[in-house]
Amino acid sequence: MKQFAYLVPRSLDEAISFHEAHGDRAKYVAGGTDVLVKIKEGKILPDYLISLKHILGQDRPLLNQETGELYIGSFVTHRMIEKSAIVRIHYPILHDAIRNIGSVQIRNVATIGGNLVNAVPSADGAIPLITLDATANIQGPKGERSVDLARFFLGPGLCDLERSEILIEIVVPPLLLRTGSAYIKFGRREAMELPMLGVGVLLSLGESSVTCVKARICLGVAAPTPIRALEAEAFLVGKPIDGGTLEKAGKIAAKESRVRDSIRGVAWYRREMVGVLVKRMGLKCMERIKKLAQ
Amino acid sequence: MQDLKAVGKRIPKIDAVDKATGRVEYIQDIKLAGMLHGKILYSKYPHARIVNIDTSKAKQLTGVRAILTGKDIPEIKFGVYKDNRPLKTGKVRSYRDEVAAVAAIDPEIAQEALSLIKVTYEALPGIFDPEAAMKEDAPLVHEEHKTNILKMPWKLHYGDVETAKKETAYMVENRFSTTWVTHCCLGTSGAIAQFDNTNNLTIYTNTQIPSLAQKDFLSALKAMGLRDKRVRVIKPCIGGGFGSKLDTYAYEYLSILLAFHTRKPVKIVFGREEEFFATSTRQPTIMDVAQGCDKNGKLLFRDISMVLDNGAYTSWGATTPSVMMMPITSLYRVPNVRYEAMCVYTNNTYSQAMRGYGNPQATFAIESSMDMLAETSGFDPMELRRINANQAGDVSPQDFQITTCGLDQCIDEVEKRLGKKTPKEKGVGVGFASLIHVGGGARVYKSDGCGTIIKMDDYGKINLFTGATDMGQGADNMVAQIVAEELGLDVADVHVIHSDTDVCPWDVGAHASRTTFVAGNSALGAAKKIKARIFDMASKQLEAPPEILVMANRMVMVKEDPKKRLEIGKLLRKFHFSTNGEMLMAEYFYDPENENLGRDFKGNTSMTYTFGTHGARVKVDEETGKVQILKYVAAHDIGRAINPILLEGQVYGGVMMGIGYALTEQIIHEKGEIMNPNFRDYKILTIKDVVPIEAPVFETFDKDGPYGAKGIGEPGCVPTAPAIANAIYDAIGVRIKDLPITPERVLTAIKAKKKLES
Ligand SMILES: Cc1cc2nc3c(=O)[nH]c(=O)nc-3n(C[C@H](O)[C@H](O)[C@H](O)COP(=O)(O)OP(=O)(O)OC[C@H]3O[C@@H](n4cnc5c(N)ncnc54)[C@H](O)[C@@H]3O)c2cc1C
Repeated sequence: MKQFAYLVPRSLDEAISFHEAHGDRAKYVAGGTDVLVKIKEGKILPDYLISLKHILGQDRPLLNQETGELYIGSFVTHRMIEKSAIVRIHYPILHDAIRNIGSVQIRNVATIGGNLVNAVPSADGAIPLITLDATANIQGPKGERSVDLARFFLGPGLCDLERSEILIEIVVPPLLLRTGSAYIKFGRREAMELPMLGVGVLLSLGESSVTCVKARICLGVAAPTPIRALEAEAFLVGKPIDGGTLEKAGKIAAKESRVRDSIRGVAWYRREMVGVLVKRMGLKCMERIKKLAQ
Repeated sequence: MQDLKAVGKRIPKIDAVDKATGRVEYIQDIKLAGMLHGKILYSKYPHARIVNIDTSKAKQLTGVRAILTGKDIPEIKFGVYKDNRPLKTGKVRSYRDEVAAVAAIDPEIAQEALSLIKVTYEALPGIFDPEAAMKEDAPLVHEEHKTNILKMPWKLHYGDVETAKKETAYMVENRFSTTWVTHCCLGTSGAIAQFDNTNNLTIYTNTQIPSLAQKDFLSALKAMGLRDKRVRVIKPCIGGGFGSKLDTYAYEYLSILLAFHTRKPVKIVFGREEEFFATSTRQPTIMDVAQGCDKNGKLLFRDISMVLDNGAYTSWGATTPSVMMMPITSLYRVPNVRYEAMCVYTNNTYSQAMRGYGNPQATFAIESSMDMLAETSGFDPMELRRINANQAGDVSPQDFQITTCGLDQCIDEVEKRLGKKTPKEKGVGVGFASLIHVGGGARVYKSDGCGTIIKMDDYGKINLFTGATDMGQGADNMVAQIVAEELGLDVADVHVIHSDTDVCPWDVGAHASRTTFVAGNSALGAAKKIKARIFDMASKQLEAPPEILVMANRMVMVKEDPKKRLEIGKLLRKFHFSTNGEMLMAEYFYDPENENLGRDFKGNTSMTYTFGTHGARVKVDEETGKVQILKYVAAHDIGRAINPILLEGQVYGGVMMGIGYALTEQIIHEKGEIMNPNFRDYKILTIKDVVPIEAPVFETFDKDGPYGAKGIGEPGCVPTAPAIANAIYDAIGVRIKDLPITPERVLTAIKAKKKLES
């Protein structure tokens, strides 16, 4: 494995200035569960690893009681998100996703920021956060900016970060009343799994608790980046939600997906599963809305 | 029944704490002074002529100590068919072919040197499908062999299958297939070779066959011009064997050759990816199976032919038909049997022994076919099995003498625990399958023996040197418990020393579920000799004839008058520290009275046979094709459980391995290249996938087994796949005949069925 120097900045500014000083020879590292694997495989060969782990900041998801926004610092580990009662109760879709990442050992060190910046089409953290309309806050040499997470992913391994920029936090906007959300990681085993598909669905219902006023469907491993199934979403809005509408939405989403054949799964099967799983996650959303009402 | 103190007790594995606290030394941990690190350059093609190898640049790299190519080494041949060499010359026949080897002062430099070696290849057409490889005009993998079909004699015919076919009332005929899976040992392969200044070799290596490996390495030394030398094989603690370490491999010979050239110890340790693509797999098969029964359900014949993908070289995988014969001729009573298997060279990876040694493949076909026959004939699947179940006293068509047999009990127990066949819930079903396996050694070599030496110290403690190889399965516990029982000692009084050919006696190897039976009997034999001596000594002291003495609680005493007793340590000291003093040592070599198979493949290969029945309750998701196992029952007749927790460990582990084989595991080959050489894409199951398993045990107390025990190392993974396949059929009426039973396959079959019905 290639040797590298390990730099330990104490602040965001210091981290950014380290990165600027070394340019392409440097790489940020948080939990290292993607970075070190890539170095070991010889896919990247940085001379410097700049650790983000020692920068003080929030260490767990925080709910802003006034605005209803959920803040998740970039360096928060999956384990902290998994253990957060706020997330478990109010953002079950995120809980569904995070608790099945890798293994406990991985979740103890791997961060949500690293998961997003790594930008693989299967990123289990990305799908639920896109479904939740989250925004990414970014800090860099030129200051701070925000970007919609739905627009953050540009291609496999590529995201909207300029050189030396750091993803600092994710903000989830307040949820509408009568909202349910659910995620399924669809794979071949129960742990340490890179999924065949990831499917996140969010539904908000109108006052009657029947008609859909907002729908989000986000798919992982269905295209080079996480994608939203916009047509399927549009189809659902304004309709009463039941098994039949969800089945149709699933079929539309399946058409929208751009699944491929790979050693991990064949396209026909993946496409068909998009349909099945969108319906199932939709039904789970409905169950969760009902439970909330009780 | 005897009141036992050590045998039958749930005593944790002797080295469990050392393992859990990271204290044991694996090959990865061992460092010798001045040690160099070796790395291997593998082929870039599945089949190609080697035109030129240029090592000049690599040789100039600072830190490189030696570079070897096929031209630099003597003619060392290895493998079952002696068709493999540590470094290839002339041509490469698979992606895992070794082309060059480097020794350097650290692994990184060795790796860099590999990237500086320039090999020019001329690609040849490859052959990856065994059936295509059998055709006349197929490219030859080994030209000198003239054909891709191995000249191996796997063919038998007992009784008269053709006549039986005419008499049969019901008959089924089907084709099944299984693919490549691999052992996934958590400890990767590795070896360290070291020569002393007179060229005697010491090799630390991950092996299941210290004594046979010693023989292989001796012939390598001979080929290197080193005659009359000694080879010491030391097996460090190994992280899993499962049959993968029953042969010697190129990397071991390369560590020897590099050590010889550099005069330094050389260590070669595999990385995970290398472990996946450069070690051997279970043999893939294509199996045509026909079975028939009369109108009373009695099996009349079994007719099976197979094609096995041998890969580019020949290791033990090619001999798995010799074990497949066992379930084919002897699982259930079947009077007329025909079997033929062809092993075919291809440019794929080559196969090896793997837990069950062909039995899981053959049993998948036979037991799937049994359920199909049950359906055709209208018998309940379990009833059909009961009608044909083997019984103690049977002699099977292959001349296997069934001494003890708990198959009936196993069938009943599993059926009881899983309930009646009819699914109560949609998509839920149960399925069953049974097994026979060797349980009392297996004579595949000239000797099926194992030696033991016992040395007692002045305090009544024992050093026990066994030929048995512990590889995590608990061979160490097993011999210690048997000896402690026999001599009335604590298990902790017995220190087991194994896996070093300089100090331990000969053993044929940790294969064929033979260790408990053979090494156990060997240890028992040695303990009995010690006991006789102790009784002799004590008899004078206690003034009582040896016949009325017993040993218990570290004492020797008069059975009917336990107050007349002596502490064993005291007794030993008395005899040691006296004129003409003596110390207690004993050796014993046990070689079971089993038989080599004859030319007709008949012969009682094992002293006894292990039987079992497995059953699964599954739930099939008909929209996704996913199979969930709700409950799994694995009942075995194991003679006697020497240590129930280790026994259960073998069964649980075997079952999970079997479930992986049934549902998720496969090495994906594309034109000879392994596409998933990592745990991310090779779907071995994890701790979170473990299903509820029950492992009831029937003790039939085999007269030849140590305290009645039979072997249980392999059975756990033998009938798993057919039990699950049968349960899936019961649940949703689709029959999957190819492993693994992936959700894609299930869904495809569901669709085909729906189409047929509409
Ligand atoms: C065994 C194993 C199992 C896994 N299982 C899963 C799984 O089930 N699901 C899944 O989605 N992933 C999985 N992963 C991948 C990985 O663990 C996750 O993507 C993880 O969240 C990455 O976080 P990290 O903190 O370790 O990232 P790192 O490896 O530290 O960094 C990843 C990338 O992001 C950059 N980076 C990190 N933080 C920042 C930041 N704040 N700003 C800018 N750049 C940054 C790094 O430079 C690097 O390019 C698995 C990995 C392993 C090794």
